[in-house]
Amino acid sequence: MAINFRKVSYSYSSLKKNKQVKFAISDVNLEISEKDEFIAIVGHTGSGKSTLVQLMNALLIPSLGEIDILGTMIHPRVKAKLKPIRKKVGLVFQFPEYQLFEETSLKDIVFGPKNFGMSAEEAMQKATEAAHLVGLSDDILEKSPFAISGGQMRKVAIAGILASNPDVLILDEPTVGLDPFGKGELLKLLKKINEQEHKSIIIITHDMEVVSEVAKRVIVLDSATIVYDGDTKALFKNEEFLMKHNLDYPELMKLMHSLREKLGLDIDIHQYSVEEAYQELYRVLGDTHE
Amino acid sequence: MNEKIVFGQYYNVDSWLHRLDPRTKLIAVFLYMVALFVIKDIYLLGAFLGLAIIVIATSKIPLVKFLNSLKMVSFILLFTFFFQLLLRKDGELLATFSFHMTIANALIIITLFTLFFLSKKIIKNFRVVLLCVVLITGFYVQYKFQFSYLLFTYQVRIFDSGLMMSLYILLRIITLLFISSLLTLTTKPTDLNNGLEAILKPLKYIGIKVATLTMMISIALRFIPTLINEAEKILKAQASRGVDFKEGKIGAKVMQIISLLVPMFVIAYKRAYDLADAMEARGFIPDAPRTSINLLKYRLSDYFTLGFCLVLLVITIYLRIFYAL
Repeated sequence: MAINFRKVSYSYSSLKKNKQVKFAISDVNLEISEKDEFIAIVGHTGSGKSTLVQLMNALLIPSLGEIDILGTMIHPRVKAKLKPIRKKVGLVFQFPEYQLFEETSLKDIVFGPKNFGMSAEEAMQKATEAAHLVGLSDDILEKSPFAISGGQMRKVAIAGILASNPDVLILDEPTVGLDPFGKGELLKLLKKINEQEHKSIIIITHDMEVVSEVAKRVIVLDSATIVYDGDTKALFKNEEFLMKHNLDYPELMKLMHSLREKLGLDIDIHQYSVEEAYQELYRVLGDTHE
Repeated sequence: MNEKIVFGQYYNVDSWLHRLDPRTKLIAVFLYMVALFVIKDIYLLGAFLGLAIIVIATSKIPLVKFLNSLKMVSFILLFTFFFQLLLRKDGELLATFSFHMTIANALIIITLFTLFFLSKKIIKNFRVVLLCVVLITGFYVQYKFQFSYLLFTYQVRIFDSGLMMSLYILLRIITLLFISSLLTLTTKPTDLNNGLEAILKPLKYIGIKVATLTMMISIALRFIPTLINEAEKILKAQASRGVDFKEGKIGAKVMQIISLLVPMFVIAYKRAYDLADAMEARGFIPDAPRTSINLLKYRLSDYFTLGFCLVLLVITIYLRIFYAL
């Protein structure tokens, strides 16, 4: 059970003979396991990130090739019911706060599970669980989703997807527009879901900080194709590749990098937490600069 | 998503009609339409349709585009045509038809209609033509065959004024549609709006804020593609939450529509406030006199077109008054 892409291409215009079409996703092979994955998808604007994730829960149907989504085959002429797929693969869109519409936040969270055929009681129970998981208090749940703050709205929207209990959770730029505190909280939450419930999580992000902090695996997209798919740490070690695809280091690595360059320190710049970086600096400087 | 959403009917080629000033086209279409309503004579009306077709032929726009505009109203056209034809009962009697409804005929007609509706998925184009064929065979069968048990007989009488009137209305509507599509096909919505603003400018003396009105129209036009984009996003977001816009009972349907409409209202309001702020920041003052970046300018062809249409209208009024045509 997994999500498997086999030679998948997608174009927003319809394919016609003798006509050159621009593919948003071109000839992609990809395998994503259902459990314990934490994947970050990075790439420029227009490289096909959003298209790729929309293919994963059958919001878009591939123009060529086929996708096996948790046991259901999706191909250009698919006739299968798509709703069960969307329950299994939950997709949180960019700025999800705009999809809220109910009278109270709780009702909005219940909306998804109810649509997927849960009974009213079960849906309510799942919704309350999801709300508590994302850290929404009961008084917020009773308020109108238009009367709460932007960060809280986003939590409501994410809870709305979580309440349907998806096997795989996909988030399109979840940290954009959040303050540092909100961002940290959200990442902590995603880590928790990943570690405790072993659900696979896929996030699209531009933020290398987020990548280095949470992602175990990185997929780099460049002009509709996958140019890197593998371990996060290995990606940051390949300086040449990062330069070629205009990818940035996380802030901490930038700092370590300039320390090495400017001060001529013999340090390993590949540190992913402040603690590790401190240890590394201490190793080199410890005796002389105490 | 990346595909450009084209709004309006504008067909991008270069012809003398495309180059005409939008004001000219608006006024000319208006004059032509008034003339159409002045005419009483069916042959003159035919000549007007002929003229419209000649102009269309010089526009470099494929005729299909114009026929498409007919397609949308074809059911109404058919309906008014037969209504007039069958219900007018004055003037000279042209013909009488007796129709016999027998069991066999009724069965044939029912089969034809079921076939028509079942073929919906297979034959998608020319549905109206197909409907005509079905109707005509239906009546022909009743006219010709009298097998099996006779249920009832009825007569249809066609009078010359009925025939004339139905043809007259048909011709008038078709000409109207052709002329108005000619305007929208050859003029960009923004140009149309600019033209309208220029023409309606005198209304400011009686206290109507024309500039504000046309600004509203152009903003509305500008935001249609943006809002369509947003609507698509919301549709997808709600589809991810299990909304299936194709299925569901009526109760669920209402909920689905609300789940689209409420976010769209919120987004539209937010966009409107943002735009208002942006306009103010760039020094926009409502009702202040503004100059346009694209100045409209009349050329020789504009004067010619306007003069021609004016003469046309005067002639039709003259014919109507003195010859009752």
